Amino acid sequence: MADYKILFTGSVCSGKTTAIRSLSDIETIDTDASVSDSAIRRKQKTTIAMDYGVLEMSDSARLHLYGTPGQERFRFMWQLMMSDLVHDAKALVLLVDNTRNDPFKDIKFYLDEFRDYLVQRQLIIAVTHSDQQAHPDHAYYMNELKNMGIFTTVLFIDARYPDSVLEVIKAVLAEREPSVDWDELGKRLMEHRPPVIEDQSCEASESEQQEQIEQEKKPAEIKLFNAVSLMDAAMNTRGITGAMHLGADRKVLETNISSMQNQAMLKSMVNLVSALEQKVAFLGHIDNLVLCGPEHETLSVFVEERQALGLCSEKELSLSVVKQQAMDLLQWSGE
Amino acid sequence: MKELLGQIDKPGVIESSCILQGAEISVSTFVSRNHETVAKKAFSYVFQNVTKLRTKHDEAHLEIGGKRLSGFMLQDQRVLICMSDKNTNVSLVRDHIYLLKPKVEA
Ligand SMILES: Nc1nc2c(ncn2[C@@H]2O[C@H](COP(=O)(O)OP(=O)(O)OP(=O)(O)O)[C@@H](O)[C@H]2O)c(=O)[nH]1
Ligand SMILES: [Mg+2]
Repeated sequence: MADYKILFTGSVCSGKTTAIRSLSDIETIDTDASVSDSAIRRKQKTTIAMDYGVLEMSDSARLHLYGTPGQERFRFMWQLMMSDLVHDAKALVLLVDNTRNDPFKDIKFYLDEFRDYLVQRQLIIAVTHSDQQAHPDHAYYMNELKNMGIFTTVLFIDARYPDSVLEVIKAVLAEREPSVDWDELGKRLMEHRPPVIEDQSCEASESEQQEQIEQEKKPAEIKLFNAVSLMDAAMNTRGITGAMHLGADRKVLETNISSMQNQAMLKSMVNLVSALEQKVAFLGHIDNLVLCGPEHETLSVFVEERQALGLCSEKELSLSVVKQQAMDLLQWSGE
Repeated sequence: MKELLGQIDKPGVIESSCILQGAEISVSTFVSRNHETVAKKAFSYVFQNVTKLRTKHDEAHLEIGGKRLSGFMLQDQRVLICMSDKNTNVSLVRDHIYLLKPKVEA
């Protein structure tokens, strides 16, 4: 019996648990728990340790499927998995949620995290949720990846459909494992495991969609609507005690920071950032400015072209966690 | 003092460093004048506001382009500034500075 392993990774909601569940012959072991922070806006369950499933591909070949937890705070698991359980995996499948504000930021982040791991393994980028958001399309991905110096297979899949996920497996193993009849296997999976379409999806609920449509009719209000959601998400993020959402012009769209002192300090930080953006653009993009100390909450400003985010957070929260949370919040907020 | 900064610079962690005294740089190992100037302007502004608003912050980090500029307030109101690669873990930078800070303050 030949045993193969494949590791799935990708951002929260990209469909790792769903993909593994779609393929597995055994009850998948997943360790989903209720979502407590920034993902809350779109999702009730998140994986906290890992996903595992098995697929009997043929009489002589078996596939073990592993999935990392998506949230950055479970990152220690990634390291643990790479050095132990999946050190002998054949490929890394990076699931990319096409509805994210900037899917390429996710790709960069994960490729950075898994850089060493990828040295001797195949990488497949599998784009999910394209039924909800068609752009960027395949051609766009190929072109953008080429510009990033990444040459790899990109597939568009729907993690809920076994035959769709199977395409990814086929791309990794078809040449290595001749014993598998892929068409037959696809049929068997579709028969025995109809697509898992749950209501706890990342998709906006009908009422939310309605709200979205209403919003689109009134463009002037979109900004405010989105700003409110970002604030909600921020307040549901671990360790974050206040937030300030700024627009492209670095003016405050919305804030819920009650301390005047913090408010004033954050504003001065934003002023500094805007001044630097204008004067020293030749040194590169200003990403963030963070202020901390043992006796005061951490204050930070994270900057993107079209928006910026100011945060107050507990001083105990490590700076890299604050940064990751801010990146995540900026990804979640709609434009 | 310059030798002391030499100890602060450490391959893979800190590329260059300098001391900000008032609004001027007193010693420096910075090769890039541009980065030194940005650090000087940014941290004198930030720590002035910290004093003004009494927020007690004593540390600031600014990520710009591929670099991170960090400023650590010393006991005597001078600021120890260092530059690292943005991809270097910030806790490495902090640990290293916390270790050497007492020497610079002495
Ligand atoms: N419409 C659509 N929904 C999808 C697709 N892929 C996954 N989903 C849904 O997205 C939701 C989230 O998927 P999960 O599998 O829980 O995501 P995950 O990557 O395991 O997330 P974490 O464990 O939180 O990191 C589920 O409700 C899936 O049914 C897709 O391609 N299209
Ligand atoms: Mg999951």
